[in-house]
Amino acid sequence: MSTSTSLNEQEAREQLLELAAEFYDQFAEGDVPRMQIPTRTKSNIEYDEEKDVWVYGDRSSTRSAKTVSGAQKLLKATYTIDFLANQLEEDRSSTLRELYYLSESWDLDEAQFNTQDESNNLIEDLEIVSEVKREDFHMRPEESGAKVMGPLLLREQTRRGDREIHCQKDVGQGGYQIPNNPDTIEFLENDADFVLAVETGGMRDRLVENGFDDEYNSIVVHLGGQPARATRRLIKRMRNELDLPVVVFADGDPWSYRIYGSVAYGSIKSAHLSEYLATPDAQYIGIRPEDIVEYDLPTDPLSDSDVNALESELEDPRFQTEFWEEQIELQLEIEKKSEQQSLAARGLDFVTDTYLPTRLEEMNVL
Amino acid sequence: MTSLQSSLGDESEIAQELAESQRAISIAEFFEKNKHMLGFDSGARGLVTAVKEAVDNALDAAEEAAILPDIYVEIQEDDQYYRLIVEDNGPGITKDSLPKVFGKLLYGSRFHAREQSRGQQGIGISAAVLYSQLTSGKPAKITSRTQGSADAQYYELIVDTDENEPEISVDEQTTWDRPHGTRIEIEMEANMRARQQLHDYIKHTAVVNPHARIELKEPSEHFKFERVTDQLPDETEEIRPHPHGVELGTVLKMLESTDSHSISGFLQNEFTRVGKKTAESVIEAFRDRHFGRGMTWPAPVSGEDVDVVAAVTEATANKGASATEEFATTIAAEIDDAGRVAYHDVEEIVDDAATAAEEAHGTTFGTTVRENAVEATWLELAPVATDDDLSIDETRTAADLYRRVNDATSSRKDDAVLDAFATRLAGKLADEDDHRHRLTRATLRSHVDRAAELTEDRDDTSFGDTARENVTEELWEFMATVPTDPPLVRELADDRDGTSDLVEAMRSTDIMAPPTRCLAPITDELIEAGLKKEFDADFYAAATRDAEVSGGDPFVVEAGIAYGGELEAEGSADVLRFANRVPLVYQRGACATTDVVKSIGWRNYGLDQPGGSGLPNGPAVIMVHVASTNVPFTSESKDAVANVPEIEDEIELAIREASRELKRYLNKRRSMQQRREKRNKLGTILPEMAKKLSAVTGREPLVIDDSIARIMNNVLVERTVEDGTVTITVENNADTIADVDLTDIVSVEPQETNGAQVIEMDGEWFVKWSESVGSGDEATLEYNVDGEADFDLSVEGIEDELLTVNA
Repeated sequence: MSTSTSLNEQEAREQLLELAAEFYDQFAEGDVPRMQIPTRTKSNIEYDEEKDVWVYGDRSSTRSAKTVSGAQKLLKATYTIDFLANQLEEDRSSTLRELYYLSESWDLDEAQFNTQDESNNLIEDLEIVSEVKREDFHMRPEESGAKVMGPLLLREQTRRGDREIHCQKDVGQGGYQIPNNPDTIEFLENDADFVLAVETGGMRDRLVENGFDDEYNSIVVHLGGQPARATRRLIKRMRNELDLPVVVFADGDPWSYRIYGSVAYGSIKSAHLSEYLATPDAQYIGIRPEDIVEYDLPTDPLSDSDVNALESELEDPRFQTEFWEEQIELQLEIEKKSEQQSLAARGLDFVTDTYLPTRLEEMNVL
Repeated sequence: MTSLQSSLGDESEIAQELAESQRAISIAEFFEKNKHMLGFDSGARGLVTAVKEAVDNALDAAEEAAILPDIYVEIQEDDQYYRLIVEDNGPGITKDSLPKVFGKLLYGSRFHAREQSRGQQGIGISAAVLYSQLTSGKPAKITSRTQGSADAQYYELIVDTDENEPEISVDEQTTWDRPHGTRIEIEMEANMRARQQLHDYIKHTAVVNPHARIELKEPSEHFKFERVTDQLPDETEEIRPHPHGVELGTVLKMLESTDSHSISGFLQNEFTRVGKKTAESVIEAFRDRHFGRGMTWPAPVSGEDVDVVAAVTEATANKGASATEEFATTIAAEIDDAGRVAYHDVEEIVDDAATAAEEAHGTTFGTTVRENAVEATWLELAPVATDDDLSIDETRTAADLYRRVNDATSSRKDDAVLDAFATRLAGKLADEDDHRHRLTRATLRSHVDRAAELTEDRDDTSFGDTARENVTEELWEFMATVPTDPPLVRELADDRDGTSDLVEAMRSTDIMAPPTRCLAPITDELIEAGLKKEFDADFYAAATRDAEVSGGDPFVVEAGIAYGGELEAEGSADVLRFANRVPLVYQRGACATTDVVKSIGWRNYGLDQPGGSGLPNGPAVIMVHVASTNVPFTSESKDAVANVPEIEDEIELAIREASRELKRYLNKRRSMQQRREKRNKLGTILPEMAKKLSAVTGREPLVIDDSIARIMNNVLVERTVEDGTVTITVENNADTIADVDLTDIVSVEPQETNGAQVIEMDGEWFVKWSESVGSGDEATLEYNVDGEADFDLSVEGIEDELLTVNA
């Protein structure tokens, strides 16, 4: 999939219209219009050795006009293509939620979306089949991208002209807000040694307050739970274009390991974009189960769902490395988990003065 | 069917007993007291019951004479009374049998008649006659013309209610336009409030009697139900009762009236499915129950302090040394050969040895000698404990019982406990008056129970029901049936307990199911015909089960279903209940049939059933026919079938069988419906999509018919079969010509195949037909089949995507 480069409006539009033309031809030949897309489930994800990321396997499903529901999906796809083509032509953009509401204005009831999941899924389908990224359709998710703080100067093309922004000097405490399409950013200069992706907002604020970014020349990126596509894309670009090592700092529980997984390996829902979004050599800094033991951190007991999640991670090919097997087995043994902020038990500066520097050195980042 | 115009089956026995107990009072008073049970509790119901009795009677009369019934029912409203007239085209009736049939209440119950008959259903036409006389005071007017006679005979009949004696008061010649038949006219106090039940009764009778023509004319309405088949119901044969279905009282009466002397003869002559071998099995089971079995004890083994030879020698006096020796050693050797012996075995062995010794030595071995030898041997094998030198726990009987008990109980039981138990059981046996150790199973069990209770008490252990039963069974197996001759029939007739043993023995013996020639089911085909005749529906199905047995009576259950069409769609489906071809009109809620219909999950079969239980909703008619030599009713008025599990099971299976066809039909209908809905839906969606696509791509408007045809599989092949005519229709809705090659594989030889090629192969006929069907055209092939046939149609020449086969 040629998704590594951003498409301009014209190209994106043409690729969408090509899909419409395919349907047109199928009708014209007396054939049954259909659209084939890979099955987007965990069982249809496989590792691409060459690119070091997780991509969709061979299994696919067909949306065909043979059934009423299939025909309805294709009808909606046609209407959505029409809408997107117009949007691109007019150089406008809209959110996924707006698309859902906007469909209400379509003259044909059958073409309207019933739920937002339906419209979201359709956009994903179109992304895959037309090989145009959502961002290039000018479709934004509802939530904005997360924030960046660190010694980085960049230029962003905005609707109000290009802006040059330094991510420490030109921003407030909150940092630089990542735009929905990070491909509109151009990196100008940086003085950074590494990128530190942080799971929770509280920890990000602690690092900024303690001046960690300044002291260690670090670009601190807030993930905010499962990171948005824009956040992952930006991290990937900083790794590739600025050649900065990337480390992920998250809670010491199975869900946080999955956050790391989606940064490093890509997620199931967007496996068609793994190459574009995933940072395969991102490293996990902590909290490791080992740290829980070593620093005697305050803990919570593992719940049943935590244990199940850990066990399923042990079977997940993405986590079958020596590091992860050791850590997960240790955690199952101690039956405990800790949050990032539990480090505060050793003082508010412990994380910036001791924990992170020690770990970074161990990992040869510093 | 062999009965006269009216006959009462076994079911009238209760009424008969009632009547007997009320001999002192007049029949009128008896009737008055029991009219609710007889179906005459109100004027409305009385009229329905009278019609029912008269029509049942008329149908039976015609069928017995192998005449297709033609029944006319008329109800006239007089000033004071209602007049009921029922005419049939039966063989007519002679003056002699007339009073018995129409006049005598509770007359003619044939003892143990086992045959399906309508007469079983009611108390009989005589009750209607009596009811009319009691309410109106008018005689019954009967006209009869026997086959071949020039004139008809007119009678008036009244019943002497004090004596229950019918009297013919008028007897004169008359003319009648029917060539043969009977006409009865009675007047009674009545009303037409049960008009609906009356109509139902007649209509439902027409459903299950498609061979009958029935006409009903009542004051405000007039119906005719035409005949649809010339096939009379199969003639039934009366059968003797089945041993599994008779009660003690019945057997006692049978014993009194039989001509047989021996039990074996009695069993073979009076019951169905009993031959010599079965009779022997029954008698063996009877012996076990009546006489008990004899306990067997093991022959002595080496090392055991048991010396049969010495014991016999000592007991035998003055027979000479060599004869005595031979006698004693023969006995010992025979016992050793037998392994285990009961008292009666010892008797036989001693007798044989005595006879042999007599022959060899010329000495007489008299009765006393023989008896002495038997006793001595038995005492040696099953010694009685004495206070002096043998305590009970040391006896060989106790030791043998220990082995039996040990085998029969679980290994968890303590040896000492089992030993104590065996000793107690040996004690119980020793205490028996009958030192031959002859016990019935019940006595054996009571001994086991007693020993077990003592063991539980004294040894503080549990000896539960399972263990007791296992021990009893094990010991019972080691006991031998005694050779004693069973009592003679005349002895047994006076012995209620003995007869009870016999009834139990009959029930416990495996006996082949009774024959079913005594039944005449309607058959699934005629049920369908009957439903078609009276209900205007879209779909009909019926099923006739194989005969089953309940309480010794064979029975057959049939079910039919009609669905759709003009049937009432609102409310519950109609349930039509029949017993021996007679509609059951009252007490729907008390009937096993209704219970079963309610218990079925109708949603599985495609019918709406609010709440998932209870009666399904219409438009449907569900009919159930129970045919039996003895339909179990909940009461004497015979309105509801009793909840007998075997019958309920068969009712359910019959309904389910018919319902499966309904399900197939409804599924098919639903899939056609879905197809139409799909076509409508796609008819909106796809043109819009095409329009949008042209707009988006800026190309010329699309024609999408081909795509839709492809999506809708637009060549439709359908088959219909009606009255043996098979019609295959190819409907081409596509834009192109459809060249179809059809092959229909038929299970019977097709006739008049209209040019189609027919090839026979292994008893199947391949009807091959090729046709080119133009766009929008239709082509049909017709051929005929004789009777039921299976079809299997394959269509070639059209892509599967463009084809729907509906055949």
